[in-house]
Amino acid sequence: MSAKHEMSTSRTAPEAISPLAEAWTVFRRNKPAMFGLFLLFSIIAFVLYGTFLYTGDPFDIVWAPHTMPSEEAAFPLGTDYLGRDLLAGLLTGGGPTLAVGAVAALITVVIGIAVGALSGYFGGWVDDLLMRITEFFQVLPALLFAMVLVTLFSPSLVTIALAIGVVSWPQTARLTRAEFLKIRELEYVTAARSIGARNNRIMWKVILPNALPPLIVSATLTVGVAILFEAGLSFLGLGDPNTMSWGLMIGSNRSYIIEAWWPVTFPGIAIFLTVFAVSLVGDGLNDAFNPKLRER
Amino acid sequence: MAGPLLAIRDLKVEFSTRHGPITALDGISLDVMPGETLGIVGESGCGKSITALAAMGLVPNPPGKVSGGAILFDGEDITRANDARMRQLRGAEISMIFQEPMTSLNPVFTAGDQIAEAIMLHQNVTAAEAWTKAVDLLKLVGIPEAERRASAYPHELSGGMRQRVMIAMAISCRPKVLIADEPTTALDVTVQAQIFDLMRDIQAEFGVALVLITHDMGAIAEMADRVAVMYAGRVVEEGNADAILDHPLHPYTRGLIDCIPALGKVDANADVMPPLAEIPGVVPPLHLLGKGCAFADRCPLVEAGCRDSRPEMTGDKHRVACFVTGSKA
Repeated sequence: MSAKHEMSTSRTAPEAISPLAEAWTVFRRNKPAMFGLFLLFSIIAFVLYGTFLYTGDPFDIVWAPHTMPSEEAAFPLGTDYLGRDLLAGLLTGGGPTLAVGAVAALITVVIGIAVGALSGYFGGWVDDLLMRITEFFQVLPALLFAMVLVTLFSPSLVTIALAIGVVSWPQTARLTRAEFLKIRELEYVTAARSIGARNNRIMWKVILPNALPPLIVSATLTVGVAILFEAGLSFLGLGDPNTMSWGLMIGSNRSYIIEAWWPVTFPGIAIFLTVFAVSLVGDGLNDAFNPKLRER
Repeated sequence: MAGPLLAIRDLKVEFSTRHGPITALDGISLDVMPGETLGIVGESGCGKSITALAAMGLVPNPPGKVSGGAILFDGEDITRANDARMRQLRGAEISMIFQEPMTSLNPVFTAGDQIAEAIMLHQNVTAAEAWTKAVDLLKLVGIPEAERRASAYPHELSGGMRQRVMIAMAISCRPKVLIADEPTTALDVTVQAQIFDLMRDIQAEFGVALVLITHDMGAIAEMADRVAVMYAGRVVEEGNADAILDHPLHPYTRGLIDCIPALGKVDANADVMPPLAEIPGVVPPLHLLGKGCAFADRCPLVEAGCRDSRPEMTGDKHRVACFVTGSKA
């Protein structure tokens, strides 16, 4: 019977393009975003080299304190107030900084999506309860709350990442909830139900993939925010004192900023470039996933 | 003859709105026999789609709820079935085709993925087997180059092809009842005819009972064995398609039939085309229904008694709910 009702179009079907592949095509044409991606990869390469191949100890006192950059060929970025090599600090401090940023963003996304999805999908009392909890976390001043958490559980990379994650998930939860509220009313969700799919499947396999674009953008930007957060905590002296990080470098050298500008400036620039790169990538993803902006 | 496969008995569905509770379905009763086509016809807002959703157990709750009556599928009252049982039935025994093929497919998965998914929900097969079956189904619904189209995303398919994919999904587990909610409204006329042809062939091949929901009397004439005409949440006329199309009893049904602009009906020598027929007014908002016949304000045959109480269905094979024409039947 199929022959009789073959559709009249005989042209060959075009190669299928997945929505992700299409987004990448748009992203690739976005020069600032590609620059951001290049910058981000360069920073990651620099940090990977520092973490896995570089063998120097950034805590070693190697030369006279406050040596100017390029004053001594062996230490091109100079030394800090104790005479520690700043280049070594930048190389080895990047790993913990990026790791804390990434892990904190991951925690944010996991809690945020779980809470937002349940809230938006089920509505009713589940939504009320979860949103009141979310609001409770939202009204607390984030930095203050993170400081309390870090001091309570003694500063280490893990507690810092956890603290940042715990204070920053409400935004992701609200975003996820809004997307779920919107998508659950669409016809393909009813259609999925009409073939007998269960709630779990509808939430995670039907709605979530369609809600992902704004969540990916938000998660990317959260990495930048988390890195700034870590730097902020370290600056306030709440960083992990036994692990070199860019934030710790700024924090420990901040009292000497009048005498020596370079020990705080170089890690500052490193943090700035990282967050800048992450933001460029995030904006690029936003444009790539938003069909209305694509043709601009 | 065997009993009905799907029997709706005095079904009531209520919605809570800001105007207070409204009765979207007010005691409707319908039978669907195995293998037949029942057409449900009426204007927008008559309760056609709610009837379909109720039969799937998918009335959005809240704000809606089934507040009375029963829906018997093979003798089992599915208004009382639990979630797990409903999921078993949906897709496998009763499935549904939606009005908008543009929005009823998930945009982030390929056509083949979605059909395979429906298969794997109800059958114990591997992903590869499900995919093969999905491609076979795409061939069955007449999609050329099914192997390649199976890995196409919905936005890469035309409206007609998407509706074919929906049909493939709906019949993937050989359901006994297929509910089609205005399956061709969003499609071109030529594509409409193709889709109707396809649905007829599938019905012949699988022996599935078809519930065709439409506002198009032409589609009813073409497809339906029996017809139920709905108005303001009630069935107002029910009977064999021929009887209803040739001798409509309810003035609303007559109005719907007169609205078909038939090419042959017009006198070719006439200088001026007659104006298109219409039924004056609109379906009254359900929260403003009075105690009388809901159609009274639009009815050309309205009599004094029509506004006093609701007419009940009368008649045997060809039943109608009308004080004026019903008594003559």
